[in-house]
Amino acid sequence: MSRKWLVPITIVCIISGFFLSFQLKVQANNNNTNPLSQKNTNLVMLINDLEEEIKNQENIIEQIRNDLSNLENRPLPGNLPELQGQLKDARIIAGLTSVIGKGIVITIDDNSDGLKNNPQDDPNKYIIHYAHILSIVSELKVGNAEAISVNGQRLITNSEIRCVGNVILINTTRIAPPFTISAIGSPKHLAEIVTNGELDIMKSTNYPVTLEEFDEVIIPAYKSDLQFRYAKPVKEEDE
Amino acid sequence: MWVLPVFGLLIGIVLGSTLTFQIPLIYVKYMSIAVLASLDSVFGGIRSVLEERFDGTVLLSGFFTNALLAALLAYLGDRLGVDLYYAAVFAFGVRLFQNLAAIRHKLLLQYRSKKNRQLR
Repeated sequence: MSRKWLVPITIVCIISGFFLSFQLKVQANNNNTNPLSQKNTNLVMLINDLEEEIKNQENIIEQIRNDLSNLENRPLPGNLPELQGQLKDARIIAGLTSVIGKGIVITIDDNSDGLKNNPQDDPNKYIIHYAHILSIVSELKVGNAEAISVNGQRLITNSEIRCVGNVILINTTRIAPPFTISAIGSPKHLAEIVTNGELDIMKSTNYPVTLEEFDEVIIPAYKSDLQFRYAKPVKEEDE
Repeated sequence: MWVLPVFGLLIGIVLGSTLTFQIPLIYVKYMSIAVLASLDSVFGGIRSVLEERFDGTVLLSGFFTNALLAALLAYLGDRLGVDLYYAAVFAFGVRLFQNLAAIRHKLLLQYRSKKNRQLR
């Protein structure tokens, strides 16, 4: 028997050995890095960790702000008390302090009864969308609300109300139904404007909504970081 | 006489595990086809040796054209939205099993005929 087959088979063996081990290595690496292969558990863990970190950071911010306000409230000589007052006003306007006053509290929730009775129907018709909250908040602003919060999230100038899949983000915090929208302002005025607007539409489509007027509504301070990295005041002579 | 191919296989494995270059995830699919094609050639070669109809040129050309064509077809399938990749995997897989079965048959027959000769 001739040995002419030896060399070609050896060549093919080298190549296939190379491919085999290479492929094995690639697959082993893939399993570690491909998020889909681990059913996104890594991503979920990442999100949870980051949210935990955000909470910790917010606590630190709150502590620092408390220290700061203690320092600011010391009795001061000269015309500094006047500046102190201005600073306080500015903080209230910016939403960096908790505020209390007359106002209304609206609660809205998913129409789960309606969905139960019509299981074949599109569930989108029965859940609260970010647009509902956005409309109510806009109406409250039209009604001269001085401070608004949704589920404890103070709305300030840079607050977003945004749909991300099946949750709603406000101040980059995930919030879920039922939604409690608190507003400080003239209770009568505010109640009138929302009951003639979005709240009425929601009632007519059988969403469970409530509206209560209170003498004392407490609205918490904005908890997160508030920095202007790009915007700078325009100088007088530039205008 | 089987030492050289086994040695070659070992060399290939060592080469493959020491060489580190990243190939993009998209091409991992084509790599797996190449693996199947090379395995198919190895077993096909062994089979043809046992059946005493071995031809080195046929083996090597078959290996390269099969691997290239399979990769091309898989690529074309990707472009067209048809999973031709699975067809290539299926074809190579079936051939692998057929070759293995033929090798086993041949070896068994050889073993038996040897035994018979010894008995006589």
